[in-house]
Amino acid sequence: MQKFLWRGVVAGALLTPATPFAAGDPEIAELKSMLTAMKAEYEQRIQALEARLAEAEREAARQREEAAQSEPMTAAMVHPAPTARTAKAAGRFGALTSGNAFNPQISVILDGNYYHDGIDGEGAALVGEAFQPFGGGQDHDHEGEEDGHAHGLTSNGFNFRSAEIAFSATVDPYFDASLYLAIDGDGNVDLEEGWFQTRSLPYGLKVKAGKFLSDFGYINKQHPHQWDFVDQNLPYLNLLGDHGLQDTGVQVTWLPDLPVYTLLGLEALQGDQEVFGATLGDDEQAELNLRDTEDGPRLWTAFAKVSPDIGENHALQIGLSYAHNTQHQEVHRHEFGLEEDLHDHEEEYAYEEEHGHVEEHRHALLRNGLEGDADLWGVDVVYKYDADGAYGKGDFKLQAEYLRSIKDTKIRSANVIDEETGEILEAQSGLIGSTRKFTTDGLYVQAIYGFAPKWTAGLRYDALGLTNKVSGGESEDFGSSDRWTLDLTWNLSEFSRLRAQYAHSDILVSADERERFDAFYLQFLMSLGTHGAHVF
Amino acid sequence: MMIRRILIGFAGLLALASTPAAAVDVVATSPSMGALVKAVAGSRAKLTVLADQNRDLHGLQAKPTMMRALRGADLVVAVGAELEVGWLPVAIRGAANAKILPGSNGYFEAAAQVSLLDAGATANRALGDVHPLGNPHVNMDPVRMAAVARALAERLALLDAGGASQYRRGADAFAAHVDGRVGAWRGKLANAPGVVLYHRDAIYLLERFGVPLLGTIEPVPGVPPTGRQISTLTSQLKGRSGIVIHTPYQSSKAPGSLARGLGWRVVRLAMEPRKGADGNAYLDHIDRWVEVIASAK
Repeated sequence: MQKFLWRGVVAGALLTPATPFAAGDPEIAELKSMLTAMKAEYEQRIQALEARLAEAEREAARQREEAAQSEPMTAAMVHPAPTARTAKAAGRFGALTSGNAFNPQISVILDGNYYHDGIDGEGAALVGEAFQPFGGGQDHDHEGEEDGHAHGLTSNGFNFRSAEIAFSATVDPYFDASLYLAIDGDGNVDLEEGWFQTRSLPYGLKVKAGKFLSDFGYINKQHPHQWDFVDQNLPYLNLLGDHGLQDTGVQVTWLPDLPVYTLLGLEALQGDQEVFGATLGDDEQAELNLRDTEDGPRLWTAFAKVSPDIGENHALQIGLSYAHNTQHQEVHRHEFGLEEDLHDHEEEYAYEEEHGHVEEHRHALLRNGLEGDADLWGVDVVYKYDADGAYGKGDFKLQAEYLRSIKDTKIRSANVIDEETGEILEAQSGLIGSTRKFTTDGLYVQAIYGFAPKWTAGLRYDALGLTNKVSGGESEDFGSSDRWTLDLTWNLSEFSRLRAQYAHSDILVSADERERFDAFYLQFLMSLGTHGAHVF
Repeated sequence: MMIRRILIGFAGLLALASTPAAAVDVVATSPSMGALVKAVAGSRAKLTVLADQNRDLHGLQAKPTMMRALRGADLVVAVGAELEVGWLPVAIRGAANAKILPGSNGYFEAAAQVSLLDAGATANRALGDVHPLGNPHVNMDPVRMAAVARALAERLALLDAGGASQYRRGADAFAAHVDGRVGAWRGKLANAPGVVLYHRDAIYLLERFGVPLLGTIEPVPGVPPTGRQISTLTSQLKGRSGIVIHTPYQSSKAPGSLARGLGWRVVRLAMEPRKGADGNAYLDHIDRWVEVIASAK
């Protein structure tokens, strides 16, 4: 405590005399002019406030007259009602809103669950690691600290998935801006989105910039709490990763004035992706003879959405999307025993297990560094019917998407290395320059039906790897993974939601191995603050 | 050859889209707002109405076709006070049309033109989906609607000066029609015993003519009642006379059981006139409500 005081005194003594000496004449002049400017500004503000006050008084007088015209209720109300006094908002051009005057609108969404599967809680991660011939699902080293974080970290028992905090406001006549933060169960904060968008460009044009969820496809731009199921579908999870196409860059959209709703858009994004167009760390790039990470933007997308008018209370939207990442790198490791050529593999392992003489057999890896580019195609269809039942009864929604990812790469390095030391034992230069084209596709179809007021039931089928192959210098086909999901959602009010979900998954975990398991979720979603929007 | 044909087709589409059929392109959120636009502007406005008669204006979703309608609009006419908060801001943002952004000449809320009931309620969602700004359902009060029509005429005059006199005439005529009917409505409702509503959505009409609101089926806005709450309400109202009214999008179960318990009539009535209604059709719609409320015994 005393030490602390001393420090304060010393710091104060050092700083106090320093300030006046540091400020020279030009700075004083500047300060003066700043003060005058501030004074003028405040005077203006006070005048504006006075004008508003006078307007409000006139308004109140007018209202008293108006209120006097209408008759009071003749009988006492049985139900207590909020005070029936009359009110008036300022400005007849604006939207009446209970959002705080100049503060951003704030909302918080709490998202947690109880999870159980039959394979010790591995299932929640496994559905995002379905086998693909390229490195998707394998644990390649990320450059950032992405590992171990986020939506995938669900284990058997209680999980707090995230608290999403959203701020949004109109910045000035030219821009709107939003910020979305996600805090996971361990308190790690992740910037989901932070962007601004133009308000007043002509010809139906809009420009958005910052970090945002791409408008590629349909479900990509939805936050997890907007999903109709607890978890993401297999194609998005495996072809784009936990966060989907979430990146930093610029988006331009154009809504031409046509008789049919047609939205066209282009995005230029940095390209820092987990799966689609991933790049490796500097050290690994050097080791594997891969190029440095190119300057951004590396990820480009284009999309078109068309929505024909199909009648009252029905809505249909069809979308086509394309994404291209100019750089994609990965490392493939094939493990085998070093003396594989000399001994029978099976026998050797049997020997090891019996005697535990692991040190006698060094293990080697064939390690290939691949580099190329990546393309992704997406088609989406959404149909909605808005019934006249109470609280969503009879409403129906059908949603389907197909994604196809193509990674066109060349082998840039191929070495047999010692697993422990990383020492190069043998160069496989014959493989260098050979092409490897990885094609994996996936689709999901889901339907949601409001079978009772406030209750919906959902059914989803999703599959990955209907095509799951490598072609080029080496050609091989692999099987697919799929899943059936059933869920039941209770929307107690517009602000709270409880959900139960059951899924049966059949996931290909390696070329010739499958994991079949059942998984169960109980989820809560609580929405605090501003009234949320019902986005299409 | 093919390309040229496509280009010609495209140009044709563009020409079709930009043909000036009327002086102003107006989008109304609900049929009652559309009726007001028709009453004020007549054929001078090209009108699109977004919501159907039998849908809850508070629960709609923003559809791309709405954005399409708003894309070229000069004016959007909403009930306002956050009634359309779930979808209209999204639809306006999606329409990429700077003319109709809130705060500009092209954005009009009926609720912002008149005084509101239920304003200043505690902003506490334990009390349901409350709107501290006030009850937004001003379209149920014909007298307030006449005031809104006058404000709308001024707004349209601002956007299309050439039609100013027509708009003012239209608003005056609508107000005169309202005045013409108010006397009869007042007479019919003078001794009305009262109404139980599902939601506090028709209170503007009740308040205008001094009809007591005997209760609401929902304990708090947006929350359906439990069986116990209905039986409590039944015992509270036992021995009185009245009528139960609910809209097509509200469940008929609880209103039905309340009405049975009390021996009252239960009536399903839309909050909005039919789509495509004009000023007179709107007043006929109020007529229907008045008849039903007056029929209570």
